[in-house]
Amino acid sequence: MLEIQELSKSYGKTLAVDKVSFFVPDGQVGILLGPNGAGKSTIIKSIAGLLRYKGRIGIQGILAKDLAAKKIFAYVPEIPAMFEALTVREHIEYVRKAYGSSITDEEVETILKRFELEDKQEKLGNELSKGMMQKVSICCALAVKPKVMLLDEPMVGLDPRAIKELKEVVLELRNSGVTVLISTHMLEMVEDLWDVMFVMEKGQIIGSYQKSEVGEKDLDALFFEMTGGERA
Amino acid sequence: MKALMYLTKRSFVNNLKKALHKPITLLLMIFLTAYAIFVVFGIGMLMKELHFDSVQGLVVFVTLWTLYIFLSNFLSYSSRKGVIFRQGHAHFVFTAPISPKLVLLHSAWMNYIISLVISVVFAIMGVTVFGVALWRMFLFFLTGCMLEIVCECSIMVWFYTNEKLSEKAVKVLGWGIKGFLAAITLVIFLYFRREGISLGSASAFFDWPVLQMLPLVGWNISIYRLILLGPTTLNLIGSVLYLVSVAVLVFIVFRMKCDGGYYEEAAKFADDYVEMKKKKNNGEMVTRIGEKRRAFRKVNNAYDAKGAKAIFSRQLLEYKKEKYFIFSKMTVFSLVLAAIMAYTMRESAVDSGVPQFFLLGIIAYMCLVMSGYMGKWEKELQNPYLFLIPDKAYKKLWYATAMEHVKAMLDGTIMCVSIGFAWGVSPVYVVQTILIYTVLQANRLYMRVLAQCLVGNLLGKAGQDIIRVLMQMVILGIGITLAVVIGMLVNINLIFPVTLIYTFVVTVLLGLIASVRFDTMEQLA
Repeated sequence: MLEIQELSKSYGKTLAVDKVSFFVPDGQVGILLGPNGAGKSTIIKSIAGLLRYKGRIGIQGILAKDLAAKKIFAYVPEIPAMFEALTVREHIEYVRKAYGSSITDEEVETILKRFELEDKQEKLGNELSKGMMQKVSICCALAVKPKVMLLDEPMVGLDPRAIKELKEVVLELRNSGVTVLISTHMLEMVEDLWDVMFVMEKGQIIGSYQKSEVGEKDLDALFFEMTGGERA
Repeated sequence: MKALMYLTKRSFVNNLKKALHKPITLLLMIFLTAYAIFVVFGIGMLMKELHFDSVQGLVVFVTLWTLYIFLSNFLSYSSRKGVIFRQGHAHFVFTAPISPKLVLLHSAWMNYIISLVISVVFAIMGVTVFGVALWRMFLFFLTGCMLEIVCECSIMVWFYTNEKLSEKAVKVLGWGIKGFLAAITLVIFLYFRREGISLGSASAFFDWPVLQMLPLVGWNISIYRLILLGPTTLNLIGSVLYLVSVAVLVFIVFRMKCDGGYYEEAAKFADDYVEMKKKKNNGEMVTRIGEKRRAFRKVNNAYDAKGAKAIFSRQLLEYKKEKYFIFSKMTVFSLVLAAIMAYTMRESAVDSGVPQFFLLGIIAYMCLVMSGYMGKWEKELQNPYLFLIPDKAYKKLWYATAMEHVKAMLDGTIMCVSIGFAWGVSPVYVVQTILIYTVLQANRLYMRVLAQCLVGNLLGKAGQDIIRVLMQMVILGIGITLAVVIGMLVNINLIFPVTLIYTFVVTVLLGLIASVRFDTMEQLA
């Protein structure tokens, strides 16, 4: 589970996130939505431990900044940044060592195959295209075998097959009890995935829905209903 | 730690493999190593010439080094910019279950290597140039690469992980150190100007007890003096204080809690570092990492240029929006350099009776010194719209670089007029030198484009620069020889116009050839 309590973050005098609280239970997929500048990235980076903040972030009940919490947490950033002189396989090997992950060689092969990277294993970080970097980033996150996974705009740059694969992976993770939080603008891409959604505006959560509560309404409609905008 | 070691080891091995596959990189490394040895050897010779080749000479050298480097490191760590983090760190390391202190200590490996190399250089020079006993230099080496690194690490961890240190306190500390360094530089300059540079005057200055009493940095100097010169009451007390301070620092930072708060600055540093590298590769002048976002002025501009001329109009509009129009750091640099040159070379230039040739020499030297600086125009080549403009390639080249010629003329005017005025050079020569400088800078621009065309990415940026400098030196060498021969055989006053006409013709030809690069985005090689 992922719990955010009274999270606030300022950049100088600008308040980017104002006392935000939300909760994603075990085995559920949460979607974080909101227009540009709403504060989604700040929340994501705070959860990932890349920013100072006020409030509390808990991963499976442990403070997010504790090493024990980091060990069960995986993060796919919006813009992947590879180590230039490390190959695809070495990135995964590094993750395996850093997290003490129990992932086996066979499982690594399977993940790489699913994202069509099995023949790119010896490619260096600076030889990869943006889409390939995104795939490596996802594979590395999966190699952690996390209990909580955070994905920031994960579909950007991916080809249709990889998007399909990623959706399947997210559903598999959910079914195995992993908590997933996805921040995205591509509503149609997460339509079949979400269990709970949070809509942000001007640094605050302006509303949330459980999928079980909304019946047949699609994400698009719910989002614009809340933000007051019009559907395209 | 195992993961971080793996990261460093694999990066090193892969980089080495890549270097072996690219012989030019290896050649460049060998060339740079040879150049470094040459520089060290040159310093050694200089020390001998100045009669600094004794233990006292080394003490002077070490004191100066410690004062500036120790305090500069202190400054960079206090602003949390002393360790190079990459964007990959923010993605894969900061989020991993690795102690933030360990991440910091491990990421600073480059700093340790530099300290180690410097200690080795000092040790070798100590024995070979300064004639210090081997055992003393061994102790010196151990102090430099162990005790000092431990001290540096402790200071680094203290600044990075100290969440109680306010931004204001860091700023005050930074200005304090900068002020101290500026003051000590001024004192050193004035002192040596009055006393002259000799071992006696230098030793008298650096033996000043106050220097050894400065907290930490002075105590560090004390320990080196103890090793090199033997014990005195002052250096013994200083050394003990240094050892105690390092031990206390280690204890404090070991006990300090750190939950990775510094990752915020480190991730920003990684982004700024990439930005800085990109700007440097584009040939822009970068003086610091993480430059503030520039504010632009509001300008109402009629934008009616057509074809390639639109490139010039757009550049002009951009410059109008700049705070200082076309005046840049380069203008300030030119002014400072002109003042230094005018002052230091005044006697020789005026006494020679031909100060105009000194001026010409300085201008030619400046064109070589500023070889890395390119200005805004090179960005044009990365912009696909440039190639889509329906106009002739040579026109695009001209309009894309025209503003640079104006800027070069401005910088040249500042330099030539200041130096010419100080040396009493005839205005006719000053005007001709300004024109030669402008043409030489244009020559440099076009030569660079040509080098890109010829070698492309095959030899990398460094290879392109080497090719460009070689070509430029050959072409200018021919011109200078031609001008000197005509000057000697016909009339010495012809040297300036011949140089100007020759460089102009060559530059126009180069420009026409280089304009091929503006035809298609793809490089020829």
